[in-house]
Amino acid sequence: MVEVGDMLVGYATDEDIRSRGASGGLVTAVLAAALEKGLVENVVVMKHINEFEAVPIITDDVKEVLASIGSLHSVPVNLAKYAVGRKVAMPAKPCDAQAVIEQAKRGMIDLDNTYIVGLNCGGSMHPVTTKKMLVEMYDIDPEDVVGEDIKKGKLVFKTKNGEEKALRIDELEEAGFGRRESCRFCTLKIPLNADLACGNWGVIGDLSGSATFCQVMNGKGVKLLENAIKAGRIEVQPASDKAIAIREKVNNVMVDLGNTLEKKILPVIPDEERLQYYIDQLADCVNCGACKEVCPVCACGEDSKCTTFHSLVDNYKMSMYHMVRMLHLADSCISCGQCSDVCPSDIPITLLKSRFAIPSQRKRNYHPGIDLDTPPFFEVMLK
Amino acid sequence: MMTEQEWTPKIVAFCCNWCSYGGADTAGMGRFQQPASVRIIKVMCSGRIDPLHVFNAFLEGADAVLVTGCHLGDCHYVNGNEKTEVRHQFLEEMVQQLGLEPERLYLNWISASEGEKFANFVNDVTEKVKKLGPSPLKPEGVR
Repeated sequence: MVEVGDMLVGYATDEDIRSRGASGGLVTAVLAAALEKGLVENVVVMKHINEFEAVPIITDDVKEVLASIGSLHSVPVNLAKYAVGRKVAMPAKPCDAQAVIEQAKRGMIDLDNTYIVGLNCGGSMHPVTTKKMLVEMYDIDPEDVVGEDIKKGKLVFKTKNGEEKALRIDELEEAGFGRRESCRFCTLKIPLNADLACGNWGVIGDLSGSATFCQVMNGKGVKLLENAIKAGRIEVQPASDKAIAIREKVNNVMVDLGNTLEKKILPVIPDEERLQYYIDQLADCVNCGACKEVCPVCACGEDSKCTTFHSLVDNYKMSMYHMVRMLHLADSCISCGQCSDVCPSDIPITLLKSRFAIPSQRKRNYHPGIDLDTPPFFEVMLK
Repeated sequence: MMTEQEWTPKIVAFCCNWCSYGGADTAGMGRFQQPASVRIIKVMCSGRIDPLHVFNAFLEGADAVLVTGCHLGDCHYVNGNEKTEVRHQFLEEMVQQLGLEPERLYLNWISASEGEKFANFVNDVTEKVKKLGPSPLKPEGVR
């Protein structure tokens, strides 16, 4: 029925789910069906508190899954670590999927037991910056916001009284708002490393806004979709050539933009100034360790080299903790931006890590978190 | 008194028990002249040297770090030095990206009989590091 490599357009059969979902409710329906039919034991979803706040929960309750419907662009939480040691299905941004695969490479996650429903992602926003942006740029009270969307390079906010206000994303980013820095130079927008790659790019005609484009990436994706069809939760139809072309076009635009922005966000620092740059940036570090705690590719656990060999009484010019972390992440950093998000001292730690990781990965033509065929570096080279 | 003397770099050399430590020994027994700038740390295998040992040496005030071991294929623990080589590639990139001069980190294979090679290597590195001056990662108050 469904085969690997299929490009489909689908939507939830349940009218309620379909209308409440961001684009046809396909993802929610697939997750709910996976739970109902026992394909998985748990589902990881984001429990909404409001437009800017949500908590990841691991649930076996279909109602919770259905309640989590709708996309959030300003809650950039990486879900990978919630899949560790469980049999779960999860929605995933491309960076979530990358992190799951990196964890699997390190033996923390069994990929056979983890179903990843990938979601296209043009970038996410930090909730605090978003609230500030709403006040300063949009002139909207953050409490009044009921929904948001990205349309044709514009960020649209809907308010309680039905009004919509749109501003261009590049203008917002120029002013220091908009997407998180790591999202701006990200070039993996369609989660081709997940089991299903879903999103609203390429949904055209009368289905626009009420259906999801879905590419089946592997056998687990087939299982997920067939299970949901059998359960009567979703309906799918093949995507037209035009739809596929449009999706491709949107992706290319986003990737090109990412490549251009990378040069802006990570400007070259001359050799002799670099060490001072890192020392200055890390001077504010309060040694809380939050950046390691949230790091979705770190599989070291509690007693890791970076923390145990770091001592507060050392009078070093650079923190041992950060040096070990930078080396450790050289082959695995996916530039997801979690560490910058949680840093209490607002150190742009993702950018610092990326400066080490991106050249190392490029040199070896290595893309972290894409598939299991390319193991971590120390392993590859020994064979 | 001390300040009037010429500055000599502090160099930390990690030597493996079986080859390069023997090489250092041979250098001494053969009376090959070498500066007293090197502090040798003996490890059982160059594969034991974690990048964090190298970072620690730099942060504690080393002006250069030498990682030495058996020649490839001669490791007494099958492939310890191959692991070192992989780590060294990442270390090199890191040192470069940090803005330290690449002349401050070396990887060299020295067997137990190569006393002269060890002495020449130490001489070479000391000369180069003398030109570079003290490491920018040296803590305050460490000479």
